[in-house]
Amino acid sequence: MTFVKRALCFLLFLLGLAGLLVGLSFVFAPKNNMSEFGMEEVSANGILGEKENTIDVLVLGDSESYSSITPMQIWKETGYTAYVCGTSGQPLSYTTIMLHRAFERQSPKIVILETNTIYREVSKSNARIAKLANYFSIFQYHDRWKDLSWHDFVGKTKFTWTDTYKGYRYSAEIDPSTRGDYMQHTESVARIPPENVQYVKEIQEFCRQNNAELLLVSTPSSVNWNYARHNGIKVLAEEIGCQYIDMNLMNEQVKIDWSKDTRDRGDHVNHSGAVKVTHFLSQFLRETGLLTDHRTDSEYAKWNDSLKIYQSVVGIIHTET
Amino acid sequence: MFSFSSYFSTEYLVMLLPASVVLYALLPQKLRRWSLLLSSYVFFWAISGKLIACLLFSTLSLHHFGIWLGRLQGNLDCLLESSPREMRKELKRQYTKKQRLVVAFALAVHLGMLLWLKYTPFFASNINTLLNLLGIDRTVSVPSYVLPIGISFYTLQAVSYIFDVYRRKIPADDNLLRLALYMSFFPQIMEGPICRYSDTAQQLWEAPKLRRENLLLGTQRILYGLVKKMVVADRLNLLIKTVFAGYESYDGLVMAVAAVCYTVQLYMDFSGTMDVVLGSGQLFGMNLPENFQRPFFSKTISEFWKRWHITLGTWFKDYIFYPLSMSGPLKKLTSRGRKRLGNHFGPLLAGSLALFCVWLANGLWHGAGWNYIFFGMYHFALILGGSLIEPFVVRLTQKLHIQRKSFPYRCMQMVRTAILVCIGELFFRAEGLRAGLAMFRKMVTEFSFAALRDQSIFELGVDKHDCLIIFVVLLLVFVIGVLQERGIPIRQRISQKNLAVRFAVYYVLLLLIIVFGAYGRGYVPVDPIYAGF
Repeated sequence: MTFVKRALCFLLFLLGLAGLLVGLSFVFAPKNNMSEFGMEEVSANGILGEKENTIDVLVLGDSESYSSITPMQIWKETGYTAYVCGTSGQPLSYTTIMLHRAFERQSPKIVILETNTIYREVSKSNARIAKLANYFSIFQYHDRWKDLSWHDFVGKTKFTWTDTYKGYRYSAEIDPSTRGDYMQHTESVARIPPENVQYVKEIQEFCRQNNAELLLVSTPSSVNWNYARHNGIKVLAEEIGCQYIDMNLMNEQVKIDWSKDTRDRGDHVNHSGAVKVTHFLSQFLRETGLLTDHRTDSEYAKWNDSLKIYQSVVGIIHTET
Repeated sequence: MFSFSSYFSTEYLVMLLPASVVLYALLPQKLRRWSLLLSSYVFFWAISGKLIACLLFSTLSLHHFGIWLGRLQGNLDCLLESSPREMRKELKRQYTKKQRLVVAFALAVHLGMLLWLKYTPFFASNINTLLNLLGIDRTVSVPSYVLPIGISFYTLQAVSYIFDVYRRKIPADDNLLRLALYMSFFPQIMEGPICRYSDTAQQLWEAPKLRRENLLLGTQRILYGLVKKMVVADRLNLLIKTVFAGYESYDGLVMAVAAVCYTVQLYMDFSGTMDVVLGSGQLFGMNLPENFQRPFFSKTISEFWKRWHITLGTWFKDYIFYPLSMSGPLKKLTSRGRKRLGNHFGPLLAGSLALFCVWLANGLWHGAGWNYIFFGMYHFALILGGSLIEPFVVRLTQKLHIQRKSFPYRCMQMVRTAILVCIGELFFRAEGLRAGLAMFRKMVTEFSFAALRDQSIFELGVDKHDCLIIFVVLLLVFVIGVLQERGIPIRQRISQKNLAVRFAVYYVLLLLIIVFGAYGRGYVPVDPIYAGF
């Protein structure tokens, strides 16, 4: 066999493999964004069911993000639409997947990245899988072989489900924190893994290309946050030129009471803490002047329906303007 | 800095290995060996960092001791030629003494480094326990060292080289680079096989041209290893971690399942690694020694250890068992035993002493812990017990008219051996000897099918679907094993098939890995088990 024939055989093999991966990606990708269709992280992926180009603010991060930012309150207070695509233990490799996925149908003007995730180690193998999954979703959904149905082979993809809480996870539990002053001043700077710095830069570049502004936000957490971490993020924010808000140093404004605003001894805020955090964030978003109030826009009528359901669970939101 | 956490890491499979193959292919013959050496040291530096100094020191000292021995042997030969016959015996005695000193010195350096780094903390903590038991109010400090990955493997290679030079099986190598390549060849330095100088040094040095057939066969074998590791070993990891870490919460059936699962995991992990290692070697045209030969087809524990981690077993046989058995005191013991106890039991006495040393060393080689020592003693007892009762078993089967070569009897032997192996692995994996004994006690005294009846056994990290895919892959491994036992060269047969069949084989292996591999969210791959030894 000549060299050319062998090269052609190899190319043929690669083409066949690519074809198989495309076919399998089609079969394995969930056909709807509900858990019964095999969708992972359904509340975060509820954004896929939102009406096209209706989300103003996208929130990304780990459990700190979905515990402390409640989009329905932002809606009630400002008329801005926000969605939390944060997931439990979200590494930045998955953050980028969620970012790309959200921007497929939405064009938010502000992207908030909760900074706790920036200190999470990203497993190298998972990071590579995430990159591959951008091209072939079989690498992300391969475990669905356990519950494939006939519909997966012939059905069309249509995302129909939306989350009433818009990615926020409500918890009224109280388990006080006794950690005292966890933000004692220090000059030391907590080291951010270099791969994570690269991820944040890529996220910022993506936002820039899509005309969105990246905002780094540290929500209150007496367990996960400290001054050295604050310094680390501050340095990073200055380096990449984006705005950084650390609510752990703004207790005058946010007014977190660690005896009643946390559900797990300071690891995450509970609903009463989330209300305070979100109220502060609403004011900040309003001050940017970048967003439009949609409360009277009929295109956004469903948001008011969601607000009614939300308030029936969490209670009426009293707005201060 | 790259992180070559195992031979299954993408850094190794997608970066270092292909880059090494390409570099090797592009260079002329004389430079290929250099490229192998370069790849090997890059790999070792990436997995061990500054501890690469340990490998360099071992290689340099090995080279030095080899040349020293070689010179002594050369001098002796010259003197023997020119000396009268009556002086030769005395010369030989003198030079043997000198050579033994060199060997002792070499062993002190190489084994000393291994013993110091690997076992000092274990011995120090045991001394403290003993002092505490004796009521002595003193403690020795327990040091903590970072071991260079692969030290247990390359040290045994170094020792075999020294012994083989001493025994004149091989000449001392004056080529430092050839010796360095033998010590460091990257596909095998982390988890073996433990190679002999006479098997691999020359072929590595010759650095043959890349051949298409070798590339295809090597790739096939690497993919097969990936299937074993990613579909089976990694999938079982969650269950094994859960049960061994919290065995107190489960009953005897779960203990038995965990023991079987761990045995399967260990086999799939280690033999899968060997497939990747030997496949990687084959890409370059290197034939590294096999480490597994269908161990679960063994009818006795003794046979099992001839089929499992073969290169370690043969190392212990050649460098511990035979030298001890052939030593003066044990030879005398054997001849006395023969006179008093007959031809079967007589040699067993001396043999059992050598066997005891082998299994003590085997247990300790796997790790510095009492559970590893117990693991070694367990197999020592089984092998010795098997030899002791053999005549009675022969007589009993004759009386009962049981054909020992019949298929059902052989099957019974295989199942019995597998059960004994699983029990041994339970102690091997347990988090300490106390935990191992407690788990074994639970397995025997608290056995019930409750976890199966209420299906809770499928909630430990391996559900029914996982069981199914594990079964399918094990069946595939079994069928391939049967064909190999019958001497059918499967990979060669596949390579003779037409293009469509060959493509189909590669696609099936790749899709098994991509679809059924236990990777991504929710899975934690098992760390390379043998690299830790």
